[in-house]
Amino acid sequence: MSSAFNTRLLAVWLLLSSMTLAYAWLDHSADDEMIRPSAVVTVSAIAIALLKVRIIFREFMEVRHAPALLCRLTDAWVLLIAVCLLGSYFLGMTIVN
Amino acid sequence: MSAPAAEAMAPLVQPGSPISRFIWHCRNNPKRELWFAWWTTVVFYNFFTISFFVLSRTQPPANPALDAQGAAHWFEKNHYGILLGFAIMFLVTGMTAPQNALIAYSMRRMSISPAFGYSYLVLYSLSAVPGMLLLCIVLTVGAMRPERDPELQQWLFDLGFLSYVGTMGVFLIGSIVWMLAILIDKNRVFPKWFAYLNLCNALTEVVVSPAWIFHSGVFAWNGVIAWWIDMVVFGIYTGVFITLLRNMIRREDFGTGALPDLPPKRMLETSSLAKAAS
Amino acid sequence: MTTPAGADAPPNEFDEVKAKVQDHRFIPGQPDMWAFVLFETLVFTSYFVVYLLFRAQHHELYLQAQANLDLRIGIFNTIALLLSSWAVARCVQASRDGAYRSALTNAFMTIFFGFVFFVSKVLEWAKEIRMGNGFTTNEFFQHYFFLTSIHFLHLLIGFIVMGVVIYQLWSPKRRSQELVETGATYWHTVDFLWVLIFALLYVVR
Repeated sequence: MSSAFNTRLLAVWLLLSSMTLAYAWLDHSADDEMIRPSAVVTVSAIAIALLKVRIIFREFMEVRHAPALLCRLTDAWVLLIAVCLLGSYFLGMTIVN
Repeated sequence: MSAPAAEAMAPLVQPGSPISRFIWHCRNNPKRELWFAWWTTVVFYNFFTISFFVLSRTQPPANPALDAQGAAHWFEKNHYGILLGFAIMFLVTGMTAPQNALIAYSMRRMSISPAFGYSYLVLYSLSAVPGMLLLCIVLTVGAMRPERDPELQQWLFDLGFLSYVGTMGVFLIGSIVWMLAILIDKNRVFPKWFAYLNLCNALTEVVVSPAWIFHSGVFAWNGVIAWWIDMVVFGIYTGVFITLLRNMIRREDFGTGALPDLPPKRMLETSSLAKAAS
Repeated sequence: MTTPAGADAPPNEFDEVKAKVQDHRFIPGQPDMWAFVLFETLVFTSYFVVYLLFRAQHHELYLQAQANLDLRIGIFNTIALLLSSWAVARCVQASRDGAYRSALTNAFMTIFFGFVFFVSKVLEWAKEIRMGNGFTTNEFFQHYFFLTSIHFLHLLIGFIVMGVVIYQLWSPKRRSQELVETGATYWHTVDFLWVLIFALLYVVR
């Protein structure tokens, strides 16, 4: 039973690490010689980060096995952070332009 | 349990006016000192809010980027507010003593060494000086003679605000002491999440330290991060601990074991009526 | 398993299975720590919001300053913390199964990877400062040093928490599963906060 868990944990870690490495690709493809602003890169970066956070909640922090209240709370938190981050990014952009 | 027994001896629910009931409680209620300390805390924070936020306008803090003329002008603008607001503070500062005593008492009720309560008491008694009084004194001095050289006014301005916002160290350590006390405690005086809230409070106080470096921006003494977010966390923290202290007093059984839970409201009424009847 | 009032149908197998699954739902560690995790996440989110709003005001400046950061170091840091989170998750599983030696090994691995992050972060700060980018250099670096420092402080607290976890696992007399899980919950928070900080400081354009 524990080995099944450990296999799952390893799989989760591999997934999270590959998502992290995806940032290198994202970064590389975005810049091409000159660093420039990009809403696409920003939104993707934040989305990937939040996906990772949710996976950490559900798998590492065992929210998968938690009562419904905690599941909903952590999901709500991920949503809240998404709204705050994307909201402040786009709001900031709009105010300047 | 001594408390309910004592209450059963004397006539319990007074059918008289609120004043006669109040007087009865002042004479007979075994928790009267605790309630006195608690109410003093609540009254103090009300005075504090009015003095700092409304009258003297020192909260939210004034702009650190002001030059000498600007600082002198700020003193002029808030002249009467500062004098009146801080005159009130000088009168009511003593109210912090029962508050600190009550919190130290909560730690004495815990199953831990008395050293925790005593350390907290010493720390917080000292902390009122840089943490509040220095600001009051310095800004009152600044407001006292508006015709003073603006350079001097700016010096007083800086000294006042920096001493208030920047000396978070004492409060931070106090929060940590309380946190450790609650985590080790076996008498369930406070819920564990309140210990962690103390940690949150302590961490936001660490965040204030850049205020010594920056004259503008989010880390200045009036900055979004160094002051506003910190103040929101502190406000929540204060509201929570005042409520928890009230619950502690209601649950208090003057024993040395675990503190009983709050009884459900209905049960409290019927039991006292039953005792009055018997 | 009670049948609904009025229903004369025999007890449903499905209900029994559901009951078993329901029984296995638990909150890992103290619920109090979860309250802390959620609250602290909100506080950090407010710092992030401030960063993003101010970033938009001086976009060019932030972009130029951000070019001074090395993404590879950021990725290395993230993977180190992910490894430490993985280790502490394994530690909780091992401890739950009663395999305390394995749990202790994993707990030490957690600290090891946390320490790798620690060293890497200090070296990165030293590198940036040598390049001339300090706390007061410009607004981007104010946020960079602030966010990484406050996270670093959480990491240091994490070491103390892991110390408590190891202390619990060491002696058969202690071994409170609840405390081990509570400590693990805290450590995962340090990890996921870094995931967010990394994305915002190193990648966001």
